[in-house]
This record gives sequence, structure tokens and C-alpha cells, in this order.
Amino acid sequence: MARKFSGKDSSLVMYAMLTPTFGLLAVFSLVPFLWAFATSFYDYEVGGESKFIGLANYVEYLHDPTLFSSFGNMFFLMCFGLMVVTTAPLIIAKLIFSLRSERARYLYRVLFLIPIVVPGVAGMMIWQGMIYGDSGFLNELLRSIGRDDLTRGWLTDPRTVMWAIVFMGFPFAGGINILIYYAGLAGISESVHEAAELDGARGIRKFLRIDVPLVLSQIKLLTILTVIGTVQGFEGMFILTKGGPGFKTMVPGLWMYMNAFSFQRMGYACAIGVILFLLILTLTILNMRYLRSSEELTAESA
Amino acid sequence: MLRSLSLALILGLATWALWPRDAAAPEANGIAPSSGRNRKYTLRFAPGLYMPDRRPMDLGTPLQGLKKVAAAFERLYPDTHIEFTEAPVGSREYLVTQLAADQAPEILNVNVEDVWQDVQKGWYVGLDKYLEQPNPFVPKGQPGSRQWWDQFKYEALSRGKAAPDGKMYCLTFDMVETGIFYNKDIFRTLGLKEPKDWPEFMAAQEKIQKAGLIPLLLGNVEVADWGMDLIFDQVYGELLPGMNLHKDPVREETLAGYLDWDEIAFLYGKGFFTRRDPRFVETFRILKEWRRYWPKAMVTDYVKQFVTQKAAMWWSGSWTVNRLMRDPDVTFDWGVFYLPPIPRVSCRFADGHQQVVIGGAGTQFEVTKTAFNDTHDPATSVKLKRAIAFLQDLTLPQNTDRVVNEIVAFLPNIVGTEPNPSLMPFHEFLKRPCSKTKWLYTFDLRFNEIYRRMLELFLNDGISEDEFLTWMESNLRTASETVVRRKNLDLSKFESAWEANAVLRARFRELPSGP
Repeated sequence: MARKFSGKDSSLVMYAMLTPTFGLLAVFSLVPFLWAFATSFYDYEVGGESKFIGLANYVEYLHDPTLFSSFGNMFFLMCFGLMVVTTAPLIIAKLIFSLRSERARYLYRVLFLIPIVVPGVAGMMIWQGMIYGDSGFLNELLRSIGRDDLTRGWLTDPRTVMWAIVFMGFPFAGGINILIYYAGLAGISESVHEAAELDGARGIRKFLRIDVPLVLSQIKLLTILTVIGTVQGFEGMFILTKGGPGFKTMVPGLWMYMNAFSFQRMGYACAIGVILFLLILTLTILNMRYLRSSEELTAESA
Repeated sequence: MLRSLSLALILGLATWALWPRDAAAPEANGIAPSSGRNRKYTLRFAPGLYMPDRRPMDLGTPLQGLKKVAAAFERLYPDTHIEFTEAPVGSREYLVTQLAADQAPEILNVNVEDVWQDVQKGWYVGLDKYLEQPNPFVPKGQPGSRQWWDQFKYEALSRGKAAPDGKMYCLTFDMVETGIFYNKDIFRTLGLKEPKDWPEFMAAQEKIQKAGLIPLLLGNVEVADWGMDLIFDQVYGELLPGMNLHKDPVREETLAGYLDWDEIAFLYGKGFFTRRDPRFVETFRILKEWRRYWPKAMVTDYVKQFVTQKAAMWWSGSWTVNRLMRDPDVTFDWGVFYLPPIPRVSCRFADGHQQVVIGGAGTQFEVTKTAFNDTHDPATSVKLKRAIAFLQDLTLPQNTDRVVNEIVAFLPNIVGTEPNPSLMPFHEFLKRPCSKTKWLYTFDLRFNEIYRRMLELFLNDGISEDEFLTWMESNLRTASETVVRRKNLDLSKFESAWEANAVLRARFRELPSGP
């Protein structure tokens, strides 16, 4: 005869079920973090002897020649990324949402989502070769209009490389962000739209006054994800420019990676990692505290 | 149901029809497949360009030479299996992780300067004691029967690959050298000849550029490596004896006056290699002046540019001969010359002495600590003995010939093995003295990275000369401090040599003005 679980038994079962997942999380995420934190106080070369040096790695990073340029690049990428993520996908989501035919809405959602099946790395390689290459689209276009003098290595010229990086993926229309905004727009009650229209709000005015405030939760989510992604991410730079020419596209994450695996300065790399962790934590707290979601906004209005 | 079955059948047949046939399948070339099964020792071997069944540069037929040598060795030692593997040895990440985890192939082909960074960690086997003993595979009376070293044709250059700790960690299997490949048809059309000195060289490039062609193909890494070392030697040539502080009895014999990391660190403390050192500033001025003749984007497809005759010259290595000989698209006459010397008229510090060669060693085989993981003691390891025996067998003239001369890229470094006649110009180049330092390989990889990047930026007008020199000074300071700390160096030992050399420096002007 089956015995009914008591509340205590049920909790034990839940704990038991959580344990393997938590164990794996601890082994692969929490312990490495603590190890990295401890290692940041050592001069540790892979395969060599490690020596306790206190805060020396942190002090050295403050004097690192890449510090200002890499953080400057990171904040530039973050600002550009935030500008893109809060505009282009939202506008496209709104345009799709405004289509009358449900069939057309579905079709466009699918079409805009399809680009995500292309791996990010492959997309970058396509841009690197087909758009920015020596015989790529941009240079060939310039040659065809007789402006040979303007051709250049778009990813090797220090004057153009950063813009070439941020415009990769133009017009920034594909991907999951559109669906996130679309879901937010779909969640707005029809009565809200009707009330707004009765009050005379239409077109852009309605979009800015009604839609945007009510998708603030989505904007907040994407803002946090973009901030975290920009601070942590370096794969684009790694593949395309290795942070060059010079350090024109260096970001702290890539410098951390290079110190760890290319220069074997594991302790120093860990110190950079800890600094980046603290930066992400601070920016996320600021985001959570000062950027309001649509629920908070609605509650305030009520 | 029938439709689905038919569709599946068609797809199956189409897949079978389109499945690639391997032209290099073992049964197709008559070499019996060898298996590691039932063999006690497996030696993983990353042979670089000589990887069997590969077509180097996608030209010619798949290579078989090394496979034949390995098969013969396996017959001689039935307990040993040679397993070929492709290893991205140019990737530092790969080397470090594999060596630290004791997973690296037993025999690697890595530039030995990369190995020097890690010798204190015990990741590589010192080869001196084997090189000083006879090669047991060599018949009595032949070179190598007294000591293995005698088999190496370019012995001086090979011995010059000893690490700064005086030990030898690599076996120089073949030689490589750079040269300026040039399109003879273009030279003929423009009335140009092989330049004999720097002014002629610059004038030729000017003329080629005016004709609407790229004068010289040269990449970022090459200029930071070869370009810097050769210009440095030309500018500092006369002064170098007064800067040489370390007289290593082993290395000095073949690398007279070579500046190691500790000497450069000491000299930096004396004001050398800073903005107060006019020769250092002049070295980069020459590179910058030369820059205007290279392609706009220094990472372009050089093969395409040269083969399609959009560029007249290409500074590349002897491996390029393989491409130019076998590429059906090369329809023009080509030749090769060495970088010409810089006379006093082009640079007030240069004396016009013959350009040196950059290094010479091509394929450099190292034995890793994985080779003695059967006993974890090199003295008792049979596996290590097999690894050494395989290399000894490989360096027999007939085996080297079979492997190295299967492609026209490198010059065999073994006595009794002649290079392909097309490589003879490089054989002549290799008779020159060796460069006196290697800026890209002297210090740690952090120094290399910053130096290479900032030089590239400076040459491409991304930063001013002043900014560049600031970067170089700070980079050299950090690199010097790091090498002193990590290698426990005592630079004060050079003070007496520095004083003793004062007489050699006395006749020179514009010396750096101290720390």
C-alpha cells in the first residue's frame, strides 16, 4: 500500500533531488570561483611553483598598460550594445506585432528567428571575410565607385576597427530579442490599447507612452544580460582581432584569457577575473535597484 | 510505406555514391597498416609539416615518407608503435595544458625558443647525453658512429639552439631560412636587378610601387621577428662586441656575441633599448620608412597576391619554394635573394656588413616528459629509450632523405643527405653568421604580445613614435623584472664584464645616457 509522504519526508526528497545538481554546480562553478579568488593572491605559473604575493596582482593590474584602453573598449561596446538591444529588436517586434494577419505575424517571427541557427562564430567569420576582407563587400563596393583610396583592412586599421566590430550583425534584427519583446507586447491587455486609443494616443505616441513602459521588464532583462555579456564576453574579439591592432579592441576578458593560457600568469588572470566579477555584481545591483520593471511602474501608477 | 522506403533507399545510395574515396588509404599505397594493439609502447609523434597522408599546402600527393620510416622502425622494435598526431603546437594554450597534464605527445615539433620558457618545469627531456653518444644505427666509421652530433650538417647552427641554461632540448632535423622571392618577369619589365644594398633595394621598391604593384609582401609577425632582428643587427653590428657580457663556453662557440634575456635586462638598466638609445630609435625609423612598400592590410592573402602577380616581391621562408614549384597557377619566372645590407649612407650607425641569417633551424623535435611515464624515471624508462632510438633511426641519411626531400620546403640537416637543388640558394644563405638576438623570443610571451602589437600599431600609424617608445620601455622594464624574478637572476655579475668592455665601446658616439 502506497504511503503518503509527510511534509518532512517531502522536503527530504526535494533536498535529495537537489543535491546532485547543487553538487555539480559547486564542483564546476562555486569551487572554481573560490579557487580563483584564492589564486589571485599568488604568483602562479602553470607547472611552476606558486608564491604568495598578497595583493600584488591587483596592484599590478592597476598599472597594467591595457587597463584603461580595455575598460574603455568594454564600456563603449556596452553602451553600443545597450543602444542596439533597446531599439532595433523592439521596433521590429512592434512592427511584426502590428501586422493584421496572424499568419504573417507567425511567418515574420520565424524569419527573424532563423538567423540564430547560424553559430555566432560562423556569423563573425562571414563578416570577417565577406564584408571586411581585402576583397570583401565594402572594399569591392568602394572600388566599383572609383574610391580605391578609401579601401582598407577594416579590421586591421586602428581608425576603423572598433566601428567595424560594433556594426557586425547590422541591422541587428535577427535573434531571440525580438521574441522577448514580442512576448512583452503580446502580454499587454487589449483593454489598455483601447483605452489609449480612446484618449487619442496613436502611432509613435502610443508606442512610446503605452508599449515601451509596459515592456520595461523585458528591457530590464535584456539590459542586465547585455551588461553581463559585455563584461564577460571576449570571443568576438578573440576570433576577429585578438584585441588588436595594438590594443585598440582589447577587452578585460580577453586580457584575462591571454594571461591565463598564453602567458601562464594564472594568478594575475584570476585577479582580473575577480575584478570583473565585482564589476558585474555592482552593475547588476545598480540595474536591479534603479531600472524599473513594468510591474513596478504599474504598482507605482496604481 | 513503399514511398518512404524508396526515399530512404535513394538517400542511402546517394550517400554511398558521394562518400569520399581516400586516395591515401593504406591498401592503396602498399604500406601495411600498423596498429598500437599488442604493442607495449606507443609513441605519439607530432611531426608538423611531414604529417603522413597530408598534402602540404594542398599541393602534390599525400606524404608517405615518414610512415615508411616508422613502419620499418616498428618491424625493428615489435613492442613499439609510432602514432602520428596533429598537434597545434603553435598554440601556447595547447602546449601548456597538455604538458602540465602529462598528456602531450611523446615527440613534438615546437620552436625551441618556446620550449626555453618552460625548461625549469621539467616538461622536456635534455638531449645532450644522447647527442654526445654514438648513434647505434650508424655503421662504424660513418659520421655519427663516434657521437650523434657528428651527423648534423649545420652543426654550429644546431648547437646554437641550446637553451640559456646551456642544455639542448631539441633535435634540429632540417634547416629553414628566409629570402626575398621576386618575380623575374616584373623585374625584367621594369629594368630592375637583384639589389646589392639598401638604397638599391628601396629604389627598386619605389619603382615597383609607381608601376601600380605591391613592392613587397611582408606580414606583421614576420616584421616583428625577422625584420626587427636583421635591422637590429645592422644598426648595432659594430657596437655589439662592447655589449656582449655573457661568455657561455658552449653557446659562445657557435653564437658568438648572442644577447640573452639576462644581458638585455642588464643593458636596459644601462639605458640601452630606450628612447635615450639613438640606435634603438633608428632601428624603428628604418622599419617605419620601409613600411610604405608593404600591403595596406598586413594580413592579406600573400600567396594569392604573389601568384597572381599583383606583388613583385615576397619575404618568405624556403617552404615557399614548394608552392612556387608545384602551383600550376605560377606561370612566371621567379628567383630569390637575401635582404641586402644597410650602408652608412642609409643609416649613420650601420657599416654595411653582410646581413646575418635569422636562425636556420626548421623542424625541431623535442622529447616530452610523457616519454618516460612508463616508469616516471628517465634513467629506467624503456619507452624513452624507444623514443630516442626512433629519432636516431630517423636521422639516418636514407631516412632523412625519404622524409625531408619528399617536399621542397626545408634543407636536410644530416650529413650525406643533399637538399633539393631548388633550395640551394638557401644553403648558400645559411653559410652566413647568425643573428645576435631574437627579439620576439627572448622574453616571456607577454612581452612578445605587447611588442608585436605595438610595433604593428606604430607601423600602421596607429600611434606616434613617442608613444611607441613609451610602450617599448615599459614593456622591457616589466619583462626584465619578470625574468629576473622568475629565473632568480643576479644581474650584478655582469658589472665587471661591462667595465671590461668599456674599451670596446670607447670609440663609439651616441651611446645611451645611462639609467
